[in-house]
Amino acid sequence: MQSWRWKSLWLALLASWLLVLLGVFPLLRLAVPTRPRAGVPQGWPHWLDAELLQSFAKPGELLEDGPQPPQALRGGSCNWGACFDTSKCRGGGLKVFVYPAAGPVSETHRRILASIEGSRYHTLSAAEACLLLLLSPDTPTGECDPVPPQWDGGRNHLVLSLHPAPCPRTFQLGQAMVAGASPTVDTFRPGFDVALPLLPEAHPLRGGVPGQLRQHSPRPGVALLALAEDRGRWHVAGTDFSACPWDGRCEQDRGPKQTHPGATLPNATFCLIPGRSPDALHFLQALQAGCIPVLLSPRWQLPFSEVIDWTKAAIVADERLPLQVLTALQEMPLTRVLALRQQTQFLWDAYFSSVEKVIHTTLEIIQDRIFGASAHPSLLWNSPPGAILALPTFSPSPSDFPFYHLQQGSRPLGRFSALIWGGAPGQPPLKLIQAVAGSQHCAQILVLWSSEKPPPTRWPKTAVPLTVIDGHRKVSDRFFPYSAISTDAILSLDAHSSLSTSEVDFAFVVWQSFPERMVGFLTWSHFWDEARGGWGYTAKRTNEFSMVLTSAAFYHRYYHTLFTHSLPKALRTLADEAPTCVDVLMNFLVASVTKLPPIKVPYGMWHQEARPPPLEPGGPGLTQEPQPAAHNCINQMAAGFGHMPLVSSRLRLDPVLFKDPVSVLRKKSSPPPRTCLTPTPAPDPLRFHSRMCPLVPTLFMLPRKVHRQGPGLTREPREGRAVSSSLWPGRCATNI
Amino acid sequence: MEWVIPPPCSPPTAPTCPLEEASLNGSGIQQRRATGPTTWMSMMRRRTPVHELHVMVDEVYMLSVFEESVEYHSVLSLERLPDPQRTHVMWATSKDFGMSGLRFGTLYTENQDVATAVSSLCRYHGLSGLLQYQMAQLLRDRDWINQVYLPENRARLKAAHVYVSGELRALGIPFVSRGAGFFIWVDLRKECEEEALWVIMCASVKYNIRGPALIPRMKTKHRIYYITLFSIVLLGLIATGVFQFWPHSIESSSDWSVQKRSIRDVPVVRLPADSPVPERGDLSCRMHTCFDVYRCGFNPKNKIKVYIYSLKKYVDDAGVPVSSTISQEYNELLTAVSDSDYYTEDITRACLFIPSIDLLNQNALRVKETAQALAQLSRWDRGTNHLLFNMLPGGPPDYNTALDVPRDRALLAGGGFSTWTYRQGYDVSIPVYSPLSAEVELPEKGPGPRRYFLLSSQMALHPEYREELAALQARHGEAALVLDKCTNLSEGIPAARKRCHKHQVFDYPQVLQEATFCVVLRGARLGQAVLSDVLRAGCVPVIIADSYILPFSEVLDWKRASVAVPEEKMSDVYSILQSIPQRQIEEMQRQARWFWEAYFQSIKAIALATLQIINDRIYPYAAISYEDWNDPPSVKWGSVSNPLFLPLIPPQSQGFTAIVLTYDRVESLFRVITEVSKVPSLSKLLVVWNNQNKNPPEDSLWPKIRVPLKVVRTAENKLSNRFFPYDEIETEAVLAIDDDIIMLTSDELQFGYEVWREFPDRLVGYPGRLHLWDHEMNKWKYESEWTNEVSMVLTGAAFYHKYFNYLYTYKMPGDIKNWVDAHMNCEDIAMNFLVANVTGKAVIKVTPRKKFKCPECTAIDGLSLDQTHMVERSECINKFASVFGTMPLKVVEHRADPVLYKDDFPEKLKSFPNIGSL
Repeated sequence: MQSWRWKSLWLALLASWLLVLLGVFPLLRLAVPTRPRAGVPQGWPHWLDAELLQSFAKPGELLEDGPQPPQALRGGSCNWGACFDTSKCRGGGLKVFVYPAAGPVSETHRRILASIEGSRYHTLSAAEACLLLLLSPDTPTGECDPVPPQWDGGRNHLVLSLHPAPCPRTFQLGQAMVAGASPTVDTFRPGFDVALPLLPEAHPLRGGVPGQLRQHSPRPGVALLALAEDRGRWHVAGTDFSACPWDGRCEQDRGPKQTHPGATLPNATFCLIPGRSPDALHFLQALQAGCIPVLLSPRWQLPFSEVIDWTKAAIVADERLPLQVLTALQEMPLTRVLALRQQTQFLWDAYFSSVEKVIHTTLEIIQDRIFGASAHPSLLWNSPPGAILALPTFSPSPSDFPFYHLQQGSRPLGRFSALIWGGAPGQPPLKLIQAVAGSQHCAQILVLWSSEKPPPTRWPKTAVPLTVIDGHRKVSDRFFPYSAISTDAILSLDAHSSLSTSEVDFAFVVWQSFPERMVGFLTWSHFWDEARGGWGYTAKRTNEFSMVLTSAAFYHRYYHTLFTHSLPKALRTLADEAPTCVDVLMNFLVASVTKLPPIKVPYGMWHQEARPPPLEPGGPGLTQEPQPAAHNCINQMAAGFGHMPLVSSRLRLDPVLFKDPVSVLRKKSSPPPRTCLTPTPAPDPLRFHSRMCPLVPTLFMLPRKVHRQGPGLTREPREGRAVSSSLWPGRCATNI
Repeated sequence: MEWVIPPPCSPPTAPTCPLEEASLNGSGIQQRRATGPTTWMSMMRRRTPVHELHVMVDEVYMLSVFEESVEYHSVLSLERLPDPQRTHVMWATSKDFGMSGLRFGTLYTENQDVATAVSSLCRYHGLSGLLQYQMAQLLRDRDWINQVYLPENRARLKAAHVYVSGELRALGIPFVSRGAGFFIWVDLRKECEEEALWVIMCASVKYNIRGPALIPRMKTKHRIYYITLFSIVLLGLIATGVFQFWPHSIESSSDWSVQKRSIRDVPVVRLPADSPVPERGDLSCRMHTCFDVYRCGFNPKNKIKVYIYSLKKYVDDAGVPVSSTISQEYNELLTAVSDSDYYTEDITRACLFIPSIDLLNQNALRVKETAQALAQLSRWDRGTNHLLFNMLPGGPPDYNTALDVPRDRALLAGGGFSTWTYRQGYDVSIPVYSPLSAEVELPEKGPGPRRYFLLSSQMALHPEYREELAALQARHGEAALVLDKCTNLSEGIPAARKRCHKHQVFDYPQVLQEATFCVVLRGARLGQAVLSDVLRAGCVPVIIADSYILPFSEVLDWKRASVAVPEEKMSDVYSILQSIPQRQIEEMQRQARWFWEAYFQSIKAIALATLQIINDRIYPYAAISYEDWNDPPSVKWGSVSNPLFLPLIPPQSQGFTAIVLTYDRVESLFRVITEVSKVPSLSKLLVVWNNQNKNPPEDSLWPKIRVPLKVVRTAENKLSNRFFPYDEIETEAVLAIDDDIIMLTSDELQFGYEVWREFPDRLVGYPGRLHLWDHEMNKWKYESEWTNEVSMVLTGAAFYHKYFNYLYTYKMPGDIKNWVDAHMNCEDIAMNFLVANVTGKAVIKVTPRKKFKCPECTAIDGLSLDQTHMVERSECINKFASVFGTMPLKVVEHRADPVLYKDDFPEKLKSFPNIGSL
């Protein structure tokens, strides 16, 4: 009894102590006087009679404010609508005429001229031109041009000055647009002028040096800051950089960390470019080095800021808030740093690395203004491969391009068109047509007949439509964007190619994972030939490859458009003359867009016992081993592109169980009866597994990145799209 | 906490006791209780809360009203509560569902303090999960409640009520009843004395009337102990509750007294005729010249602080007001700012100042006097950092496109700027708010072809434009519709809501939803409210107003939502529009509606967008991205932005860091280290020693290898330690490898690294796994059988970018990390989910399949065969899919092999001959 009493007493004491402890914090709070704290926001009062207030405008006032006549243009300032006459550009798009230079031309000048003349915009007649380009003289001698003949008050003129003009202008600019290097916001007319980067003297004409970034994330231990100094020098701040650029402490330890003028940029994450010396060269240096530019002066109009979203690649800050800027840089999350660094490289490669790219970007911007609603969407300008390589004439919707499926949450169409290039005398490639038509993904077969002889009248009966197109007997015809091609994917074939249905199926499924690349069966590889001092390529089987033959390859139909409309005419002519070149050219094109190697899939894997003769392209000169002339071709291509875009790969994508020691029944290569095949692949994220013939008609699409919460009631996803199972019969179970 | 004090009133004579007061000792909280089913209604109707009291409305009989003649009105159904901050509504299932024991109820209040206080009390009254689940099931079944339960319940209540009241009436006993619940107040005073009644009632319910009725009978000393114990606990509870509740209520009440004011009571300021006038606006102003960023100062949150001047009424010398005090919209705008994160009370810390002088409509202003009023603001300082809002600038005859009030350096958020008055990067162009938005319901209409191709709905157009439009209509007939003001409308119909074409009358703005394109022409002013209506209808605006600066054009990409046509080209407008492909039109329609929803819909949206733009200029490194401004939610939803988007093949020279997670299998670990060190591209080896009870072997015992080897000791035995972003990792490529993976050859590892270089944003691993949808169980299933497809790779041996370590450790959604550590499993599945979710790409499986088995250790496959292990892994997939809200894993049918793998080619010439050999 005694113990019971003690027990309960202890219990009571314990409970009360617990309560006191719990209550001690509120008690402490009580000890402080509870007058309203100063920081407590009281806010704008909620008026008692707020509903009695009048509206800011009387009912009719917003609708009728007194008609005004159309206003005449005011002199002085210009804008696009007022000072540019787009009616001339209606027919053929942007056509550019360049005034021939009057006197001796400088090197830069010559390069600019060359790059415009090589472009698709150039025209020789001033009358049919929509834009007249006047190069601002950059000769130090100060010879100034007279007023050009078709000046017309500067209407539809673009005055291009890559360097600040030393020569005072002898005539008024009037209605002419100015494309000048690194203008300040005070004189810049947004939407009318074009801001150019200030290019160094020795900027390459074509191609250009690629970005210097070699890894995505900064190396540990890399300095955070580099500070731009006079005469193109940089100074790398140490780890203790708290107020270095501002209080002059950096002055003390100038020495080894300081770079020489012209040297490449040191390794740093951020590059501070102060406003006091607006040396725009620093900006491009930083951009190329993948060092995130931090501009401390908001006065600059950044190059091409009309279309480029600089917030994704640079930081524009106010030097009046130094502590804030430094803190922001220090605390910048890794994710953002990563994104900024990559974007600098993309922008450099896409728009700044060569004179040609700068000029083309300028013209592309003006063309976008002319196009108005059908111009490049912002996404095309600001994500790889960039607007010069993504033609807005192809499609207004980014999801039609091969590059933006991730950003758009879309996927390429699940079918392909087979494009068979034929024309050699002989019978139609029956076996090939049947093999391709047998593929479950095949939507149509197009035969491009490119021979003097009329095409045969009889074609094999196939499950998919077969169309014969009459070509123009040029090799580059095979990459013409025929309107008959209705699918995203093209399977390019020669009449002599030999493929099996399972090979086609597998290659197509692989292509769907890499819609921007070429997926092929046979490969070539390029190499630097020391002996000849040039590039060469070989069809020998090696451990690497960098090109796939278009006699059997999948790629996106966009590359046809790009091939026909964007490549310089000279390169296409070259390909027509030396037909082996056309493969090289296509591979160059795709590689320069993707900056990635093509993809190889195994060939001849399903008929080991009766291996077909190697893909012998007996067609137009596609011999197994390129002739010496072909080596010349690759060098000419490389010169035309300004660099070697091809990238080598060391891998091949095989089916998951390729040549594994498992039962053949497990492998997909022995397809079950046709009736049970899935006609189209189920959507990827939440697909039926092919081995289970689904009977229950539920397929759920969930929104991405939603964090579902609440009690465990939502066992199964409720929203989204349910697709009836009858659409997706699925493949039969093979080994359940 | 229920503040119920029984009403000491005599029901039969005064059935509704309007207001009863009582006060709780010491707490200082005034409590009043209104009883009677309709009392609160009458109270609500008194507009001014004389008593400043909290109204606690207990609607517990809400669903039990059976009297057809009585219609139940919840207090929440009132259009406008006189004081929403002090009206609280309770409801519980106890009465309506006869569940008085379950203690399940709701409190609806807008008062944050009350909500906090009550929720802090909730922890003493938690409901079991079972009960919550049951209640959720019950309340979700609306059909059953509405069609079965409630009618039946009411019918029974009514029957009972009729019966009892009939009986009482027959007995002649006076009573009061209402048509809800089962409530009958019976006056028995006539029948018996009070004490007698007590006795009768108590006896009838068999209560022991001797002694305290509530305490069960027990020995006295026990009873004393229990009483002491309970009273201490009770006192503690009360103390805690009161302490938690009290300070809040005091603070809050002082706020309320400040907030509640009438606009008529604002102080009057007399402006002398000669008081200073600010200079005219400076057209050369830019952020870096006219804006004082020092006031925005150091700010860890990167948010500007905005101060609002208090409201005053300005009169001139003669006592004539300068303008109407404040308009409804401006009041709304200031309320929105004050409710936002930007607001500060403290004038000394503010970076931006907003005067409470209403400048929205210049027609309602006296220009010079308003300017004088601005100039005398306490922090005016030539207008630096002051933000003025204006929607209707200029006045007849020439209608300036910016506010005419001299304002010096003040920023102007104006509707209808032209390129000549707009200071790029300084002013903000805002829309002209359309009050129709609040009046008319206009449900969203999906994109697609509509009846009219082109529509013009503006009324006061210049004859020149009207001629052009008439010509357009004549040329294109049905496809173009030009509407005008109605001339013969009958009285009472608001003219603003009707438009006519010849004699046909159309409802405005509904007619806008019938058109694909809608013309927005300049009027006297450039900014037209019709733009807002057009966007709302999902009609693509065709802007024909040269030099007009579109609203928020600094951040919004109007190309995606509108077509701009120069005034000169007005006659070509039809052909210009027809050249736009249908798909793009639909995209524009969707975008137009989204712009309206996000930035035009309300004054609040306009105000917040304006402040956000200014904020982004001051803190550009924290600015909102183009995508966030412009992408509609549906796009944001579906899109993936790969963090490693740059196509970049890292140089081979960089090499990779191998991270071996180990516990105590030293022998096997050493074998792995020796094997891995043979890989040419290995640059560092990191051993994560996850065993806290045992020290790692001495330095001399470790195998001698050519690359640096570091041992990291962890504080806890967690699987996540393998994915920690250690400072020691210098390379981008990381090889995660278990201490029992000894079967991978050096060629295989080197090849894996080569593959990773080509796919640096993916997981590149050796054993592949698959997830499947199990139709019988309706959930995901983990599959390790030999399949033709792969969606995961095991991180027992996998290459990946070290950035994913950072993501795994710091950005893993939900509680996945804890789940993994608690279950000691599935860290690899979590990594696969994470990478697939953030990149939207599939894994790459390398090299042929081989048995991952070693004789002396439990290998992955050995474990995998275990059935419970498989079940657990399946559970993981289901759990992670629910946390991610989706199934991010991608299924592919390919794996990576060396180019010449199994080709008919001399082995010695192959780069990676030793692959798949085990």
